[in-house]
Amino acid sequence: MKKECNEWKDQLLETALTGTAAKGFEEHLQSCADCGAELKELRARREQLDTLLPMMAQGAGPSGDFRARVLAAAESAREGKHARPWRVWVLVGATAVIAAALVAGLTLPRKNGGMVPPNELAGAQKLAEWRAPSDSLLRTPGLELLKATPKLGDSYLQVPKTDEEE
Amino acid sequence: MARAEAQDAGAGFDKRIAENQRRVFQIAYSVLGNSADAEDVAQEAFLRAYQKFDSLREAEKFRAWVNRIVFRLALNRRRGYRRRLVRDSAWQVTETATMVDGARDAEQRVMLDRMRREIESLPEKFRSVLQLSLAEEMDAADVGEVLGIPAGTVRSRVHTARKLLLEVMK
Repeated sequence: MKKECNEWKDQLLETALTGTAAKGFEEHLQSCADCGAELKELRARREQLDTLLPMMAQGAGPSGDFRARVLAAAESAREGKHARPWRVWVLVGATAVIAAALVAGLTLPRKNGGMVPPNELAGAQKLAEWRAPSDSLLRTPGLELLKATPKLGDSYLQVPKTDEEE
Repeated sequence: MARAEAQDAGAGFDKRIAENQRRVFQIAYSVLGNSADAEDVAQEAFLRAYQKFDSLREAEKFRAWVNRIVFRLALNRRRGYRRRLVRDSAWQVTETATMVDGARDAEQRVMLDRMRREIESLPEKFRSVLQLSLAEEMDAADVGEVLGIPAGTVRSRVHTARKLLLEVMK
């Protein structure tokens, strides 16, 4: 293409696409062999484009089981949606049962506190009063002596005077 | 009662899939160029439509809604591709192997691959109208409805897109 033909570049493309040349360009075409050749080439390319473009998507289709798969997925989604509230209620119920059990576990022993059977109460009292046998053995006559620490020069044999003796 | 309603909805939805599946798949395919991904995206679009089926029972409403959703989902999926493409240079090979278009021979397939790349490199506003127009039963009004532009603008952009392709496909 000649340098001066560059101004007709857009007209070349338009003519190739629409099939009709504008008046001024038509006159130029009659006198310019280069543009004529270029237009011929562009028209061939447009025909190729017209063949190829529809092939980009048209004629293509989903696989035969597409509809069945979509329906199955929709059904499964619907069931999942319906199942969800049921699961929530089960969870809520289980939580309530656990909470009730915890509350009962904490409060019941208190409530039964006043209802200890008499035999168990007597046994507990007996246990509280129990003294080891060694306690009575330690109660010897010298026990009072051992309770007081003798002063320097005193003897354990000097029995401290009681208040009555004084 | 509820069971009968569910069955009724199921039958209505089945009908809508039958009416729309081919076009919905093609919209996804025109963006993704890969049948497995196009099916995934088409299925996702139908499942979303099912969730809103109560408000989409009308055929025209369903059609417009599902066209919009599948296109958006396909664009999102393609953005994922691009990220993957950076990491995986084998993508192009897989892409060609899984094409289900009407290419009859190797030369035509090479041309289609090239055209797909050229369409991908078009400015977004021209690429979108072209991709949507490629699907069957998608006229300028349908494309305009998906993109939120008037039918006249769609026609003008398709023309420009074709002109750009004509220029680059030497």
